[in-house]
Amino acid sequence: MSPQLTLQTPLELPPSEVPGYLEQLWSRDQPNNVGAHTFCLLVWQPAWVEQQLVRTGRLDGPITGVQRTQLIAAGRQAVVDGDLPISTPPLTEAVATCLSHMDGGHTSEDLRGQHVDAALSNLRPRRLITLAPSLDPEQSLETLVAAYCPLPEEGGGTVACGDVVVLRGGKPELQQGLAILDPLLPEELPSWVWWNGALDEAPELLQQLASSPRRLILDSALGDPGFCLNLLASRIEAGQAVNDLNWLRLGSWHQTLAMVFDPPHRRDALGHVVKLDIDVEGNHPVQGLLLGSWIADRLGWELRHSQHNPDQSISTTFQRHDGTEVQMRVSPVPMGQPSIHPGQIVGLRLICKPDNQAAICVILCAESGGCMRLEAGGMASMELIEEVVPVQHLPVEADVSRQLEGGHDSTNPLLAAAAPLAAKLIS
Amino acid sequence: MTNPLRVGLRQERVIAPQSLVIFGASGDLTHRKLVPALFELFKQRRLPSEFALLGCARRPWSDEEFRRKMAEAMETTVNENRAAWEQFSAGMFYEPVDLQKPEDLVKLGHRLDEIDRLRATRSNRTFYLSVSPKFYGSGCRALADAGLLKDPQRSRVVIEKPFGRDYGSAQNLNRVVQNCGQENQIFRIDHYLGKETVQNIMVLRFANTIFEPIWNRNYISSVQITAAETVGVEERAGYYETSGALRDMVQNHLTQMLAITAMETPGRFDPEAIRSEKAKVLQAARLADENEPWNCCIRGQYGPGGTQDAPLPGYRQENGVDPNSTTETYVAMKLFIDNWRWQGVPFYVRTGKRLPKRLSEVVLTFREAPVHLFDAAGGGPTANQLILRIQPDEGAEFRFEVKSPGSGMRSRPVEMEFSYDESFGEPSDEGYVRLLADAMLGDPTLFTRSDEVEAAWRLYTPLLELIEDSPWQLPIHPYESRTWGPAASDALLARDGLLWRRP
Repeated sequence: MSPQLTLQTPLELPPSEVPGYLEQLWSRDQPNNVGAHTFCLLVWQPAWVEQQLVRTGRLDGPITGVQRTQLIAAGRQAVVDGDLPISTPPLTEAVATCLSHMDGGHTSEDLRGQHVDAALSNLRPRRLITLAPSLDPEQSLETLVAAYCPLPEEGGGTVACGDVVVLRGGKPELQQGLAILDPLLPEELPSWVWWNGALDEAPELLQQLASSPRRLILDSALGDPGFCLNLLASRIEAGQAVNDLNWLRLGSWHQTLAMVFDPPHRRDALGHVVKLDIDVEGNHPVQGLLLGSWIADRLGWELRHSQHNPDQSISTTFQRHDGTEVQMRVSPVPMGQPSIHPGQIVGLRLICKPDNQAAICVILCAESGGCMRLEAGGMASMELIEEVVPVQHLPVEADVSRQLEGGHDSTNPLLAAAAPLAAKLIS
Repeated sequence: MTNPLRVGLRQERVIAPQSLVIFGASGDLTHRKLVPALFELFKQRRLPSEFALLGCARRPWSDEEFRRKMAEAMETTVNENRAAWEQFSAGMFYEPVDLQKPEDLVKLGHRLDEIDRLRATRSNRTFYLSVSPKFYGSGCRALADAGLLKDPQRSRVVIEKPFGRDYGSAQNLNRVVQNCGQENQIFRIDHYLGKETVQNIMVLRFANTIFEPIWNRNYISSVQITAAETVGVEERAGYYETSGALRDMVQNHLTQMLAITAMETPGRFDPEAIRSEKAKVLQAARLADENEPWNCCIRGQYGPGGTQDAPLPGYRQENGVDPNSTTETYVAMKLFIDNWRWQGVPFYVRTGKRLPKRLSEVVLTFREAPVHLFDAAGGGPTANQLILRIQPDEGAEFRFEVKSPGSGMRSRPVEMEFSYDESFGEPSDEGYVRLLADAMLGDPTLFTRSDEVEAAWRLYTPLLELIEDSPWQLPIHPYESRTWGPAASDALLARDGLLWRRP
């Protein structure tokens, strides 16, 4: 489905007038008030790489913040042109920083917040507020407002309307404009905050926007790994509903590993794990640590110690119920065509040594990568079980839509158990 | 031991925020099946936080009373999950509604608007008619008249069985409900379709290349479909006396199993494609002898049985049953499907109460090998059989011949087994869990479409007419409780040189 534009040209209003304008628009006294009683979504939409690619003439506008194919291709080309390590994901801060040193003065229309992906607009948000920081920190604050009523779908259907608010400007200016946000997020509707950027790029702003009971959608693959995991752990501990897109992408790893141990004759082996190796793309171990922590939590292992190695891997020792030690290692591996999401898992090896039985070696590999590294070292001498894990290709907007659609006001209990442990492993 | 890595992992589709409105909320089904199924969905995090359950019935209960009554009825589950219940029950409400009173429906509309605001349920509504079948039509009409079904994307109605009493009444009811909303808003429930193993028949057939090439008249000699119950009529005498096994089990559950077993491959996994194939196969099905149905149908009724220490009353001795009742508690019949795939293959269908075991299964018997090269332990080689166990002990079993150990070349049958419980790390959900979730998702794949229902009723019309007009031609054969039905049923198969499988 193609993204949808607001039907009405957005109205530019002074920030202070926005709450009053919207209040009047949806007033109960107004005839035909058909405001959708759904949810509000506040999006931090920096799109730094897209803005830089447009500025340097490597990508045609408009700037939308939507992850389109041309954007990803231009990002990959920038990695090559900028002489960045080949395993650099194309939409990360490193690419934006590299591009910022390149010349260019191209401009384009900025439609962030007005260009809504169909996966989101189909959910009919009552209010979609986008914070769109500009590259130029001095740029003054613009506030745009547009009401929209989607056309009734084929076969009838009632009309439910919403509105779009865009705050655009330099980061300091945006910070000042935040005062209007609270009245724009009515308490009677669930509010979600989607931080669609690196988690460490504006910690104070994130803190300010994502206060409980607002539900947080973030991606722990974006930003400094330690910061990401600590943020995740602290938010969960504070009781906030946290939805991590990086965790969501682990779904097929969870399923495939569980499937290996579904047959009853293999389940006993789970009590005899001695070694766990997880390979991740590049230098972002968060997803690997979350998967390892999930396994440790489910199998009741206790953390003994964890350390960073010179090769940038992380080694951890756990202790099983029976006192036996389990060694876990999360290692970075370079990839020629990395995923757009940093630190995606490419392989997992789990070795079990049941008493009086042959050792079992489970190897799972991503369909995008290979397993040769994990197969080496005499693994074939054990009972070898290998599975290929399908890679999910859903765009980020579809993942966010899934979170919004089946909204929960609490964190997934598996993530809530794994994240604090993963944070300890990296600290 | 469950698989610890499986706990909490569900690859389920996401249910959108919504209100589920149950009419007949003071009834048995609500506290026995519906609310426990919803609570299970809640515990599995498959219900969104923006969810509300609105119970409706004529009794003047309050929200609190409704919550308390449900908690009492589910005492054990609630005690084991106290915190979860507190959270879940906070979204439970009650509104006294008489579906026959338009003013009550207006009040209901206001209450739903209020709940939308309170729980942010986005005006998505699923109405579940768990009321007496005689109110299905008027209930739908009342909802439509109150404007509660006007948005086909956001409102739907679930209708319990039985859907009609015969072909004519099913047609009439279809006409009424289709006037109230679009077909894709109507969800006719058949809880057998919620069973994992019934759905697995489709996966087994259409996700594997080894079965479909032999799933036809060239390789299959007969099919048996059995749904056996050990219980008697219990508390349902009032209803059962007017329905009997044919209406209660055969027309819906067994016919659905038959349709899924015999349908053609759908072009895609799409609700309409699947339902069209099911409807087509039912339209091609017929009684083996439509002119003289007594040649292909046996009716039975359980008599006393059990032991001296634990005697079991016969059907006519049960509370609420007419001592001269001619209601059947057992039916066996032979059907044919007139299409290229199944021409000439008999489908034997049987169901009964007070049989020795509680089980449902589909048995496909394959043709014998054309030439017998080896001696068989049992005299002749046993035909291969694929047994799809629907309940209990869900799974599948394949019987085939192997060489008996020893110096000779004698064959004997062995069984290859697949068991759901053993192969997967956690037990499968109860049928209502799946069906309620699907209804709230707006996925009609596992619900019967109007043409399927009508085709199913039409199939049994000659029998129903005969029972109505000249019941002596389809006499009731008594059978002892906890036996496999009347001898006449065995004779039905014996005429074709076959035996019922004794599971």
